[in-house]
Order: sequence, then structure tokens, then C-alpha cells
Amino acid sequence: MKYHATILIELKNGILDPQGRAVEGVLQGLGYSAQNVRVGRVLEMELDVPSESEAHSKALEIAKALANPVMEVFTVEAIKPLQEA
Amino acid sequence: MKVAVIQFPGSNCDQDTVWALGIVGMKAELVWHTETSLELFSAAILPGGFSYGDYLRAGALAKFSPVMGEVKRLAERGNPVIGICNGFQALTEAGLLPGALLANTNLHYTCKDVYMRVERTDSPFTFAYQQGQVLRVPIAHGEGRYYADPDVLEQLEAGGQIVFRYAPSPSGSGVGGEGNPNGSLHDIAGIVSERGNVLGLMPHPERAVERVLGGTDGLGLFESLKAALEVVA
Repeated sequence: MKYHATILIELKNGILDPQGRAVEGVLQGLGYSAQNVRVGRVLEMELDVPSESEAHSKALEIAKALANPVMEVFTVEAIKPLQEA
Repeated sequence: MKVAVIQFPGSNCDQDTVWALGIVGMKAELVWHTETSLELFSAAILPGGFSYGDYLRAGALAKFSPVMGEVKRLAERGNPVIGICNGFQALTEAGLLPGALLANTNLHYTCKDVYMRVERTDSPFTFAYQQGQVLRVPIAHGEGRYYADPDVLEQLEAGGQIVFRYAPSPSGSGVGGEGNPNGSLHDIAGIVSERGNVLGLMPHPERAVERVLGGTDGLGLFESLKAALEVVA
């Protein structure tokens, strides 16, 4: 069974986010009142595993391997079953 | 007594590092990151550059390279391991050194000479320097701001693990300015592991080994390494 997993990795609160700061500056320049803009990373992947719960635990394992615990936090945002072709 | 200089896809200070080791009379070889044995080497250096294009985070993907298992083994055996710039980032990502390197507070990729003070001379990397000596060395990085939790910083201070600290210009002006070029906590430019045999630093000593390059203050690090390996051998 194939599942589509979405992982979100973000900088911890309090860690300077240069991308967020740049985007914030531009948004404010456009007249939006956006504050504390943060830019994270979304990783999408297909996992071939027997069950949805296993897809979730594998995605969590992958997120843990890829994120840096000193500066980042991660969540598994979504697990969706994929239709077999 | 050979030193392995690890080449990741995107490393770009590898040849300079081999050159610097050659200047102090050490044998060095480039080792591709897929290598699975460092049996013939007594030390390893992870050079500067942009391993894996700095994708994900600087140094983040390098930690998964096959050779890293062997680098860890060398470190566990007590052999010297050095990470310079991107190599330092990779060593923190791999957990061989504590903390992380974040984006510079000025948000700029900063390429210039800075000053750093030698905080201890009883390490295998700093024998050849004087205590408190201020070295002029180049930096070239966008993510060099050393960061760690307060308790880790306390441990680093208490254990004397901070070997190089950014310092103001000895003349009080010009190059170096106020000292800290990137917002590093505790002005950290380089740290060693608890055991003292793994060093990570953001400045590039290999770019300061010949007068024609603008200075020779980096030579001492390689001379120290040579002396340390001779003692072991």
C-alpha cells in the first residue's frame, strides 16, 4: 500500500529566520500588516508500507533524521492513502 | 601518519587543505565521501565548501555520507578530526560536536579577514600558538553563528572546550572591527569535543598559510596537528 506523507520542518521560535524576515519586509512593503513571518520546509514523499499507522511512524522517523533538534521542530502534517494505479 | 581530507560533492576547500598540510610536511590524501574505510589514516579533515549544495541545511546531508561512519570511528578512537567551515557545520549535524551554526545575524554571506584569540594551547590543534595569541584568518560563510542551549554553552566554558574566540582587532580598528563577525554566542569561532580530539572552526586556517595569501597565522594549527600525530606515532 502506498501513502503520501507530508512533513513540515520549521525553525524553533526564537531562532532568527532570515527568509522569514526578508518575506516580512516585502509583505510590509506591499502594505500587508504581516508580522513574525516564518518560512519552513515542506517535504512530500510516497511511502510503500503495509498500514497508515506505519506510514505515520516512518514519516516521523524520517523527519527526525532530517531535522536538526538544536534549531528546528518537525511535524508529520498529513498521511493520505494513494490510489493504486 | 596520513591525513584524510574528505571530499563531499560540493566541497571546495579540499585542495587548499591538502596544500596547507603539505606546507608543514604532512602527507594528505583526498578521500571521496563514499569511501567506507579510513583504516590507513590517523586523522581526518572535513574541508569547507557547500556539501550537497547546502541543501536542507549547511552540512545536513553530508552527515549521511558513507564515510561519516569511519570519521566517527576515528573520533571515538581519539584520533584528531577537524571540521573547517562547512566541515564544522557537518560535524555539528553529525553530532560529533555540540550546538549548531545558524545564519549570520547580519543576514549576509560574509567573506573577510577576522581576528580570533587562542584560548588554550594544550590541544592537539593549538600547541604551536601562544596562550592568548590573536590570529588573523579569513572567514567566508553565511551560516556561522554558533548557537547552543545555555546549559551546553556553560559546559563548553567549564570544560575549556572553546579554543578559538573572535576578538577585536589588536590595533583597535580596521580589519575585524568589533570582533564577532556573525553573532556567534560567547564569540565562539572554534570548539573542541569534550575529549578534545575533535575540532570545529568557522575561520579558514588553510587560507592563511603563505605570505602571498595575505598571512601565515593559520600555519600553527597544521604544525600543531603534525606534532600531535608525531607524539602518538
